Amino acid sequence: MTMLRKWPAFVGLAAMTVNLAAPAYAFDFKGAHPVLTATPIKHLIVIFQENVSFDHYFGTYPHASNPAGEPKFYAAPFTPWVNNLEQDSLLTNNPNLNSANGVGATNPFRLDRTQAATADQNHNYTPEQQAEDDGRMDLFPKYTGTASTGGAGAFGTTGQVMGYYDGNTVTALWNYAQHFAMSDNAYGAGFGPSTPGAIEVVSGQTNGYQSAVGTKSAAYVADGQGGYTDIGDEDPAGDACSSTTQQMRMLGHNIGDLLNQNDISWGSFMGGFDLSLTNANGTTGCGRSSISTVTGTTADYIPHHAWFQYYASTANPTHARPASVQAIGHSNDPNGALDPANHEYDVNDFYAAVEHGNFPAVAYIKAPAYQDAHPGYSDPLDEQAFIVQLVNFLEQRPEWRETAIVINYDDSDGWYDHQYVSPTSASYSSADQLNGTAICGKGTQPDGLLGLPVNGRCGPGPRLPFMVISPYAKPNYVSHEYITQASVVRFIEDNWLHGERLGGGSSDATAGSLMDLFDFRTPFLNEPLFLDTQSGEPVDHPWPFLLSARVP
Amino acid sequence: MRLGFSGAGALASLMLVGAPAPAVAADPAPAAAAAATGVAARGVSEPQALNAHAYSLRLPKVGPLSVMAQLGGRLFHDRRLSGSGRLSCASCHDPERAYGPPGAGAVVLGGAAGHASGYRAVPSLRYLYRQPPFTIGPDTTADSDNAPVLAQQAQRSLGAPRALKSALDTQAAAANLVPQGGLFWDGRVNTLQQQADGPLFNPIEMGADPQAVLGLLQSAYGDALKALFGPTLFRSPHLALDEAMFAIARYQIESADFHPFTSKFDAWLAGRARFTPAELRGYEAFNDPARGNCAACHLDQPTRDGLPPLFTDFQYEALGVPRNAAIPANRDPTYFDLGLCGPFRTDLASQRRYCGMFLTPTLRNVATRRVFFHNGTFHSLRMVLDWYVNRDLSPARFYPRDAAGHVIAYDDLPPADRANVDTIDAPFDRHPGDAPALSSAEIGDVIAFLGTLTDGYPAFLHRSR
Repeated sequence: MTMLRKWPAFVGLAAMTVNLAAPAYAFDFKGAHPVLTATPIKHLIVIFQENVSFDHYFGTYPHASNPAGEPKFYAAPFTPWVNNLEQDSLLTNNPNLNSANGVGATNPFRLDRTQAATADQNHNYTPEQQAEDDGRMDLFPKYTGTASTGGAGAFGTTGQVMGYYDGNTVTALWNYAQHFAMSDNAYGAGFGPSTPGAIEVVSGQTNGYQSAVGTKSAAYVADGQGGYTDIGDEDPAGDACSSTTQQMRMLGHNIGDLLNQNDISWGSFMGGFDLSLTNANGTTGCGRSSISTVTGTTADYIPHHAWFQYYASTANPTHARPASVQAIGHSNDPNGALDPANHEYDVNDFYAAVEHGNFPAVAYIKAPAYQDAHPGYSDPLDEQAFIVQLVNFLEQRPEWRETAIVINYDDSDGWYDHQYVSPTSASYSSADQLNGTAICGKGTQPDGLLGLPVNGRCGPGPRLPFMVISPYAKPNYVSHEYITQASVVRFIEDNWLHGERLGGGSSDATAGSLMDLFDFRTPFLNEPLFLDTQSGEPVDHPWPFLLSARVP
Repeated sequence: MRLGFSGAGALASLMLVGAPAPAVAADPAPAAAAAATGVAARGVSEPQALNAHAYSLRLPKVGPLSVMAQLGGRLFHDRRLSGSGRLSCASCHDPERAYGPPGAGAVVLGGAAGHASGYRAVPSLRYLYRQPPFTIGPDTTADSDNAPVLAQQAQRSLGAPRALKSALDTQAAAANLVPQGGLFWDGRVNTLQQQADGPLFNPIEMGADPQAVLGLLQSAYGDALKALFGPTLFRSPHLALDEAMFAIARYQIESADFHPFTSKFDAWLAGRARFTPAELRGYEAFNDPARGNCAACHLDQPTRDGLPPLFTDFQYEALGVPRNAAIPANRDPTYFDLGLCGPFRTDLASQRRYCGMFLTPTLRNVATRRVFFHNGTFHSLRMVLDWYVNRDLSPARFYPRDAAGHVIAYDDLPPADRANVDTIDAPFDRHPGDAPALSSAEIGDVIAFLGTLTDGYPAFLHRSR
């Protein structure tokens, strides 16, 4: 292997040949945005999906069952070791056989591709902590396994929370893992459902909750300093699509504010956000909906996933449209007028902007709900179609060679994951149960918005999938560096903002670095990997012997 | 793999780059859009013998059965699962009768010896693939983090006025706070997997013993199950049973025989068949809010997503069907089958305004049935429709009299619950002396129309099972 690396002439020839064959890959080192960055990455796309624990998707990676008739997956040689269920008898003598789980006591079990539509598990702040049982990780069926069913064809069973998919269902993600980099040590920054996760990935903290309309007691805890911390789902204040009876806002700042101060283009791109469109089924406005062949019809836009809408500085409550495609990503339109969209767009706008050569530096992307992977109304197969379509698209762009895609999740849904981490962020609120009644972790709680220790930020939460798809991702690599959702914020700050931090209690400063997932020193770029949106398999199978010619 | 890593790698890159652009296709939904606008454009007042606004509908995918569904198909037809060794799922859900009851008896016989009698008529297993979960009130919002608490939903619906159900405005009914969804006559389970579990282990139906079923699964299906669910499956008996039930459910989801959409009505929808004059008149009466008003609950329009109509709104109704003496349980005068209130469903017993409510079934293949309603009290469509239009006009024809000679209307409900019976939606809004909602000839027309809902119309012979 090392010898091959000493053939720079041949490498140059290969690159040139590709250039001639496909101008789409022309090397343009200037980049679309002549902004200084710490790495060659000029475009970061954060695909933020819903409700999957690491073991739920990668529990037996890279080993798939391969029943007849399903997309096949066979591991490439030199696929690295992954911290999953294939160790310590976790598949055959799992701690969740604990009789306290009642009839739900079971070993982890395979979910078949025909079981893509599963019931939804319990993923609230307190039950997720109780399931981890002071690190014994043995009470998942009891505490998070209380499932609500989906449609008539959904799969549900006692102990279902122990189910995991393999490469016959999450085929695309497994194939991406084979060609790019993933982490097996990435966590939700805290426990609980969607809203806290969505807020973490843009701000690195959840303190500064403020009730705006009504009172949703399950959404917050008193932080002990006179303020509140968000621990649950609630719709953003003033959003045209929000519940009319319960709304919240976040005080403080998020990464969008920092990017605005530094005039770096960015945007939030959410499925269903453009209220002016009419879907194929005739729905429009906040009620736009799409049909999944797996789970049925569901609304595209879910307000309590709308990260930046919680902050007055980055909200677009009326879902106002950008003045033009050129204005997307920018605070002002090309004529200097303040753009009404305020960086909040529809996922369609992302495609449009990139196709018009207006590729934002930072893009946070949320799929229309039926494709966001959330059990009950979405599923891994619809998720796969969304991710693959977007990745295929980006891989064909001239900017691909300066692009990185992060795939991360907002929470675990409550699905079993075997890896416990002692809290790095303590909390002693009445909602905390991780290490005892009202106990999560040891020592002083992390600082909140006002720089004083606050409750409600018990973390890290459950382990979640985290992947990097980029020409610079280490190929077929599994990083074991400890990271959280806040690490995404840190990467943006490190890459574009000279390491400037949000402050106000954000864990961007202490979050792990994503750098271990990248290799910016080796002058070899990953090839694009084009997959089939339905099967998740490569659309143009390389010859078998080429699969073995992988950098270990 | 890194670009230009080796000569072979470079060649591979060339091949990849030179390959046709991968599919970045939009959703395949234009047909649905056409259908959706068609719904709005076409009124029921001017139907055509040949459908002038032919639909292209989103039918369930038909493909080779998955290994899971094949396994489920074998289980569905396996008599060894039952306690008596004589009953399979298909014994009561007869494939030759749209997976409904094989005979004309109100209830079927089962149990270990085959002499135990059931309590309710066998529902068809066809067209359940879109059955939503049981809820009370409008659709629950996506991503609610806790399973809905039915008691709370019921409480919320208390003050809500009951909306009028009309064949012309089924949306209003959908937003109404009423129970909807679920399987069995009382919606007590939400998935086909849970449904399969019911009759299998019910001592008066298939009467299976869980240990015996596990043994059979292990000996006859062990290898297939382990390939799908891993070698340790049988160490978790609950899981093994659940997976087997899911396989049966998956068979019902994947096999086109459970949702063939091959009726004459489907052919008419697609513009490939003409209604006879009687069928056309029946279709009009079926949709006329002042006459049959049948479509108020038995929806006959494609959904806005282009899904074919299932002739049910998935909701619950108290109709006050006459008591059926042919059900042995009814010999006990204190026994009442109250549907949502029990006795088989137990969580809504205190919600008295739901007592007597049963799930509205699909009307597809209804003409193949010989037993109607939850208690199987009627045996022909003519009897059913006659009762529908004359229930409150001449109740003495359907209900017994008490000692004082008064007709006991809605006699299959306890007196306190009879107020729950629907008397506001046509054709139930009539009083003695009024004209019936449908004449005898119109009833014949509606029956002719219902006949078009039977699967197996020749135009679809090519569509395989």
